[in-house]
Amino acid sequence: MKTRATETLVGALLALLVLGVVPAAAGHRANNEVLIGGAISQTGQYAEPAGRQVYSIKLWVDEVNGRGGLLGHRINLTLLDDKSDTQTAIKLYEKLITEDKVDLLLAPYSSGITEAVANVNERYKMPFVAYGAASTPIWEKGRKYIFNIVAVAEDYQKGAVHLAKQIGVKRAAVIGQDSLFPRQSGKGAKDWAKKLGIEIVVDENYPVKQTDFTALLQKISGAGAEAIFSNSYFADSAAQLRQMRELNLNFKLFSSTVGPGLPNFPEQLGPTAEYVLGFSQWEPLPKILKHPGMQDYIDRYEKRFHEKPNYHAGGAYGALQVTEAALKKAGSFDPEKLREALATIEVQTIFGHYKVDAKGMNTHEGITFQILKGQRRVVWPEKWAETKPELPVPAWSKR
Amino acid sequence: MNQRADDVPGREALSRPFAPRADATAVRPSPHSWRERSETRSLYLLAAFLICAYALPFVVGAGAGTIRLDERWLANLATVVVGGVMQGGVYAMFAVGLTLIFGVMRIINAAHGEMVMMGAYLTWVSFFYLGVDPLLALVLTLPVAFLFGVAVQKVLLNAAVGAPELTGLLITFGLGLTMIYTAELIFTTDFRTIPYAPGTIQLTSTIAVGQNRVISFVMAVVISVGVYLFLKLSRLGKAVRATALNAEVAMVCGINVQRIYLITTGLAAALAVAGGALVSIQFGFNPETGVQYTLQAFAIIILGGRGDYVGALLGGLMLAVLENLVSLMVPSGTAMVELAAYGLMIFVLLIRPGGLMGVKEG
Amino acid sequence: MKRHEHLRNLALLAVVGLVLAFVPDTLNVYQRSFVLFTMMYVVLALSWNIISGFTGYTSFGHVAFYGIGAYACAILVADYGWHWLATLGAAAVVAGVVAVAIGYPVLRLKGPYFAIAMLGTAEGTRVIATVWDSLTHGGLGISLPSAETSFETYYAMLALMVVTIAVAYAIGHSRFGVRLNAIREDEGAAEALGVNATIYKLAAFVLSAIFPAVAGGIQAYKVLYIDPPSVFFVQITIAMALMSMLGGKGTVIGPIVGAVLLYTVQELTWVNFPTAHLIAYGLFIVVVARFMPRGLMGLAIDRGWVRKGMVH
Repeated sequence: MKTRATETLVGALLALLVLGVVPAAAGHRANNEVLIGGAISQTGQYAEPAGRQVYSIKLWVDEVNGRGGLLGHRINLTLLDDKSDTQTAIKLYEKLITEDKVDLLLAPYSSGITEAVANVNERYKMPFVAYGAASTPIWEKGRKYIFNIVAVAEDYQKGAVHLAKQIGVKRAAVIGQDSLFPRQSGKGAKDWAKKLGIEIVVDENYPVKQTDFTALLQKISGAGAEAIFSNSYFADSAAQLRQMRELNLNFKLFSSTVGPGLPNFPEQLGPTAEYVLGFSQWEPLPKILKHPGMQDYIDRYEKRFHEKPNYHAGGAYGALQVTEAALKKAGSFDPEKLREALATIEVQTIFGHYKVDAKGMNTHEGITFQILKGQRRVVWPEKWAETKPELPVPAWSKR
Repeated sequence: MNQRADDVPGREALSRPFAPRADATAVRPSPHSWRERSETRSLYLLAAFLICAYALPFVVGAGAGTIRLDERWLANLATVVVGGVMQGGVYAMFAVGLTLIFGVMRIINAAHGEMVMMGAYLTWVSFFYLGVDPLLALVLTLPVAFLFGVAVQKVLLNAAVGAPELTGLLITFGLGLTMIYTAELIFTTDFRTIPYAPGTIQLTSTIAVGQNRVISFVMAVVISVGVYLFLKLSRLGKAVRATALNAEVAMVCGINVQRIYLITTGLAAALAVAGGALVSIQFGFNPETGVQYTLQAFAIIILGGRGDYVGALLGGLMLAVLENLVSLMVPSGTAMVELAAYGLMIFVLLIRPGGLMGVKEG
Repeated sequence: MKRHEHLRNLALLAVVGLVLAFVPDTLNVYQRSFVLFTMMYVVLALSWNIISGFTGYTSFGHVAFYGIGAYACAILVADYGWHWLATLGAAAVVAGVVAVAIGYPVLRLKGPYFAIAMLGTAEGTRVIATVWDSLTHGGLGISLPSAETSFETYYAMLALMVVTIAVAYAIGHSRFGVRLNAIREDEGAAEALGVNATIYKLAAFVLSAIFPAVAGGIQAYKVLYIDPPSVFFVQITIAMALMSMLGGKGTVIGPIVGAVLLYTVQELTWVNFPTAHLIAYGLFIVVVARFMPRGLMGLAIDRGWVRKGMVH
């Protein structure tokens, strides 16, 4: 019995081996094809936002192939999964570059992974436009082959801090998850607050998986903060909001960087999500943002994936439009020419304007929204504001 | 080699209800009185350590000036302690399931958090798709969970009873991974939560607590006490306890030990799933959030005394309150709450591996 | 075992080492990385095996030493400008000291208590690496100066692997190893026979901590960016245990076979079928632990493919 089981096991192992080799062998490309590849988190902690980027990538590839391909080449797409793990991501990019010999690289998701991968593509001189990394330090190391399209992390709280100033907030708290991106956006919040004369009375990071914020919220209220700038993802910002309500703690303003921008945030939280401020790189609002081609993109995305695109999706699509335009300008897939084009080109995408500075950074302007009646409504900057912000937030007891 | 006999240092022999061969392996001939003294001493040590642990945030807070003895701050403190107790009830729910399996079979169930997560998803599905109230859904989900536990025991864990601890650890860890990624396949990694009883209950004009917190706490108490009474009073429960004390003797006394194992794991899975229901109405969760609950539950059962039911309940409350005190008073303390759990766990293991309730069980 | 057999095995190790030393030029970077990480897992599994296989103390938190090594290397290179090879020595020393400090109290625990205490230690170390901002930069992680490191790290890992195998082999065939086995089988009896279990356990623990720390340091210089979750990743511990168990823990060759086999299979499959293969990985762990606790070497012995003495 025991040896039979072990033999079955060895057999299963071999079967797995064979299964793994088959698609690798099938991936060989024909002459008129270009191979485009990237590793994006399809499992693990980043899978949710990264998944929306994968949607956009697939949409773009099918569309380009539909109109005759890139520079006359059909796209053959290889998307690998880095399991939200840095070491895996490094290895996969080495594989894509040196083994699969892709013609064009796609960016990974998250600041941490991009920081690591940037060393690899820099070494092999393969440029890409990062759509999933907003932390400035990545572009402060003199790298030449990485470009950015999204607004930097330091600006995620810019709108919220300005709105706080407008309603006369004097003391505020900056809290956030202890990892690269939230800490950068927290740093930005503190800098903006300093500029605008708002005193930061609590400044704390919490562990990635923290769920109970009772004590932290008490600390914040005890310190006399009137507003909270929370640099958080879904689970933590949801927990903070719910617990503020449970504890009947009223702040004039609560702003969270990533969580409220995720499509299912208002739906999963119900009325508790009302009045929260969030940051968005982009919103599917063609009438307000007026970027060319937006409506068309939104329609096609919604038809295929049955939800409206969020900013992760929009950013990825914009970066791909930039890449496509740069390839046309370069006239070939030569990485040096492409790099040159990406560094100099000026493009209007569905995501916004692209033109990078010497470091490779785009000056994208983000928007601040407020969740009102379950909808994200743009409230800042004023030129794009759909509606006046409802601030200070009404007390829990008056809702 | 007999793992069951070798698992705690000789001086803790008295607190080892699961070590039938204990005396045979003791190297030093230890007179009974010496052991008793050592037992008492380690209990005092543990008490002293815990007092220090609870005093530490106050001392640090006083040093850093975060403590202000005005009315407002005291209200903050009271809210935090109340919140800790509420949270502790839910922690205890996680821990009692883990402690049952550990007590009866000496298996560390590394998939416990994933079972909690399974409970959260079952509740979420019943709420959003079938429109069933999360608490009512327990009527539906608990039997499912029980059967799941029985199946896990039958197919996987029976092989790990009496085997080296690595076997059980790896089996359950692998099971946990399988559960995580199966859940990702079905539900994606999007976060979910149930907007249930989101309001507040004002205890005094300054101290408030969430409705869902109170509901969760009451549920946790009702369920844990129910299971406790079952273990204490019913025939079957007594058989479970007897098996935990000494499986061989239990077998001799005519208890069907195999059946007890099935019931134990079924019960543990049901407790985990009930814990998951409470998670789903309080926090956001996705397939990967289970792991942290496993780690917290480990810390709690070590603190409470392995295999000890009441110890697990106490341990849950103590850990949650300590976490909240650290977060409130220590500057940048929220980043350190995890240290509270792991620190407690390691120090308790070193001072008194039997935990709080070590002697009582023996 | 006879003297000529030792010589033969030594020669075999030398040949493998030489072959691996000459291949990197013929490999592309990805293949080089693949071989490098395979060698890394051989080091990790073998080291884990010293304390958990030979001595019977199941460490469920060995990734702590790997992470400590990675941080020692990254901090010294990035913030103090050391040469990275020098930092590997520092990584070994730091891990050794930490191993003594942790091992002395924790090795008094046995069975599941030791396993849980080590898990708590590993998680606690991760939290400290996150909280101790002034030293580790906390959640920001540490970025090392970019450089082409694939050859240097390859050779460093190769050297480390050869040393680790040699040390593990020496332990497996020495009186030291016999005493560790005696502790595993019956610690009380071993002590009664005059084995100072405390010292032996501690020595085994320190040895099993040093090599993963150096591996972590090399890994940090290879990847060039580390943060607490990536180098204190629970699954690295699981991989060490699983690879040893798959090959046959308590032997020298088992963990090597297990590491090479499992890492290769993972590499070939995971990349292509993300979620489905992680499910398969989970099931695989279950099956190995459930049905073949003695591993492939156990199977080979049962079938009479190898003599019992040979697998050490």
